[in-house]
Amino acid sequence: VGLRTAVELAAAAAVLAWLAVALATVVGRAGYERRRRTGTLARSGAWSERRLVAHAASHRGEAGKWRRIAALRELARREHPRSRTLLRTAVRDRDRDVAGAAVKALGDRGDAWAVEQLVDALRRDRASRSRVAAQLERLTPAIGPRLVPLLEDLDPAVRFWAATLLGLCPEHGRAELVRHARDPEANVRAAVMEALGERGDRSAAPVVRALLGDAEWFVRLHACRSLGRIGETADAARVAPLLRDRNWWVRAAAKDALRGLGLPAVGALLPYLEDADAFARNGAAEVLQDIGLVDTIAAHGAGRDLLERILAAGGEGYRAAALVRADLAGHEERAQAG
Amino acid sequence: MSADTVLHWIVVVCFGYLLLVNAAYLALALAGLRENRDRRRESSAEDYEVLARSRFTIPVSVILAAFDEESAICATVRSLLALDYPEHEVIVVDDGSTDATLERLWAEFALVPYEVFARRIVETAQVRAVYRSALHPNLRVVAKENGGKADALNAGLNHARYRYVCGVDADTVFAPDALLKGMRLAMTDPARVLGVTSHLTIALDPERTMAEPPGRRRVDRRAFVAFQHLDYLRAFFNNRLAWSRYGFMLCAVGAFQLWRRDVLEEVGGYARGFTCEDIELTFRVHEHYRRLGRDYTILCLPDNVGTTEGPNTVRKLVSQRERWQRVIDESVWHYRRMLLNPRYGSVGLVGTPFYLLSEVLAPLFEVLAVVSLPLALAAGVFDPVVFALVLVAVAFANGALTGLAVLSDDVHSRLYRPRDLARLLLLAPLDLFLYRPVLMWSRLKGTWRFLRGDKGWYKFERNARGAGA
Repeated sequence: VGLRTAVELAAAAAVLAWLAVALATVVGRAGYERRRRTGTLARSGAWSERRLVAHAASHRGEAGKWRRIAALRELARREHPRSRTLLRTAVRDRDRDVAGAAVKALGDRGDAWAVEQLVDALRRDRASRSRVAAQLERLTPAIGPRLVPLLEDLDPAVRFWAATLLGLCPEHGRAELVRHARDPEANVRAAVMEALGERGDRSAAPVVRALLGDAEWFVRLHACRSLGRIGETADAARVAPLLRDRNWWVRAAAKDALRGLGLPAVGALLPYLEDADAFARNGAAEVLQDIGLVDTIAAHGAGRDLLERILAAGGEGYRAAALVRADLAGHEERAQAG
Repeated sequence: MSADTVLHWIVVVCFGYLLLVNAAYLALALAGLRENRDRRRESSAEDYEVLARSRFTIPVSVILAAFDEESAICATVRSLLALDYPEHEVIVVDDGSTDATLERLWAEFALVPYEVFARRIVETAQVRAVYRSALHPNLRVVAKENGGKADALNAGLNHARYRYVCGVDADTVFAPDALLKGMRLAMTDPARVLGVTSHLTIALDPERTMAEPPGRRRVDRRAFVAFQHLDYLRAFFNNRLAWSRYGFMLCAVGAFQLWRRDVLEEVGGYARGFTCEDIELTFRVHEHYRRLGRDYTILCLPDNVGTTEGPNTVRKLVSQRERWQRVIDESVWHYRRMLLNPRYGSVGLVGTPFYLLSEVLAPLFEVLAVVSLPLALAAGVFDPVVFALVLVAVAFANGALTGLAVLSDDVHSRLYRPRDLARLLLLAPLDLFLYRPVLMWSRLKGTWRFLRGDKGWYKFERNARGAGA
């Protein structure tokens, strides 16, 4: 009898538990649909101003934190007079979620004051720096002058982000970026290389060339890519030796750069078709294929010897792919003629 | 000892097991609810619009391994190319398909062969050709000799250029924000976040299902598919979210597994010696990082990132689930040194024992219960009324746990029509009688094949899709 009673109770409890969960789901969804129809999904929208300000000022515990975040968002949306003070406090909060929410609100705001706060947040590292940078990115290139002094910050991470963001502000900070191409921190040098390429400033090419031989592979990689964007024809000969770099990613970047330079790079690539280093041979052949030289020679018939040299450097798979492409081009031509 | 006493004790042991497993499931479901709430709050504060446009958003290489997927492949690739993400590449690896998979890709995406000299960080079966799309610069197709899914993923890994790679299945259609949602936490803390998986749902025709707007999405009318849907919800919302919360997320699912590329390289890529690659890889990364005492995390998120194709017949379901059982058995057996080993933290003390108890040993207790309970009833050891009440208790307790998963999903996504939610909730208690027996048979079959050392995939035929696929 004891067992039976226990099992009866267990069965009743299980049925009740299922009913409770089912009701909670259905009622909760019905409430959601009602709020959606009436446009009152965000509870913070119904809070009084006084309550919003109180919630946004500080928090205790998890629930309080998310109330604070909702209140901050709502006050920022309403452009409440106290939102500046509250956002300034929030962006310096030790809790990264609160600081992150303030960063988002500041990015939406986007005025000079908000930029100051975001720059300050980048320095303080209370919110994720990549998130702060993403908000500042929205405000480029206008914020360029405010970013330049950050290149002198003692924290290399701040200098890194300043350099990266200045890549989107071509009118500002050229001299400072060039100076930081010799920054003691490799990450900063890499960011400077990337920024100089991004800015499209061809006069910065000599600075980039100098770092093709940097001791750190990722600096060489960014120097390579940038030279592909801002370099001149003669730079192909400087980049091509990196096809045999000891780091695979630098070799890949060299291929990208040479592709970027296009047909003028052909002369610099040809000597590598017979290089002792297989990576260099393959890399040269791959670039010649990608810039269209192989297909052009195959289509026009002239330069058969050169084509054979390239195909030999590429190997069997390369040759087979070239044949299929030639076949496809022939089909297309015949279709057009017909 | 009389036969009745033996039967009595077997029944007691079976009930003890049932209580223990369900207590563990309840604890996990409650932890999953809390995790879901926290992730929902975080996600609501996230600036997805900015992330989707920012050049600081970490680029991702998506690797799709395909073998004989002619009916599904184009829909999946279309959804991957349509991902709303600042920079991603899609690498489709055709693993020596014997059907028209490659031809379909060729025709739809205007493929052109180009030689690409990729790294060979992991050895794979021979690559036959590499194709680029004339229409989509970020699409690359690698055609290779058949070597299995892990081998195909490794070939994709050799071609991947970006810092994170996302392994996906060829039968899954992805939501446009799948990568953005999946990468959100990795972007905040890339040094710690090694891997991420996220919630996937199930349908017979994923492309049609994904085309339905949020809030109006339907759950398949067939109870058989709805039960699978509930099974997925339980697995993600009741289990994986809780595992993720406490640091023992032991299954980054194959249909959507984001990994930091250097981590995959460090542990040697996807393993070819197991039935499936996903669970084993997750175990291996945990084992490696715990052994070296490094700080890291592998996460499961509640965001619905896509819909995968579910089997439409019992036979196909059994084929799929027995494979899953085998890989669980293989992984737990292979990494048995982690079991109850404090060196491996929550993975060794909670995660692996939980897998052992709830998955590896389940078929043993299930068979024991199925054999002993009728005998006990016939011998009068067990009162039929008590037996019926126990069934009711188990069915509704199971229904309540499933209901928590449905609630959790709905609170997070508001994806399905209210009437479909109600239907799912009504079906939940019937799962024990109509769906569990199929799973039980699958697990038994999987365990048997594991014991025989069988590692075959036994791929089942894909469902017929709409004209758009």
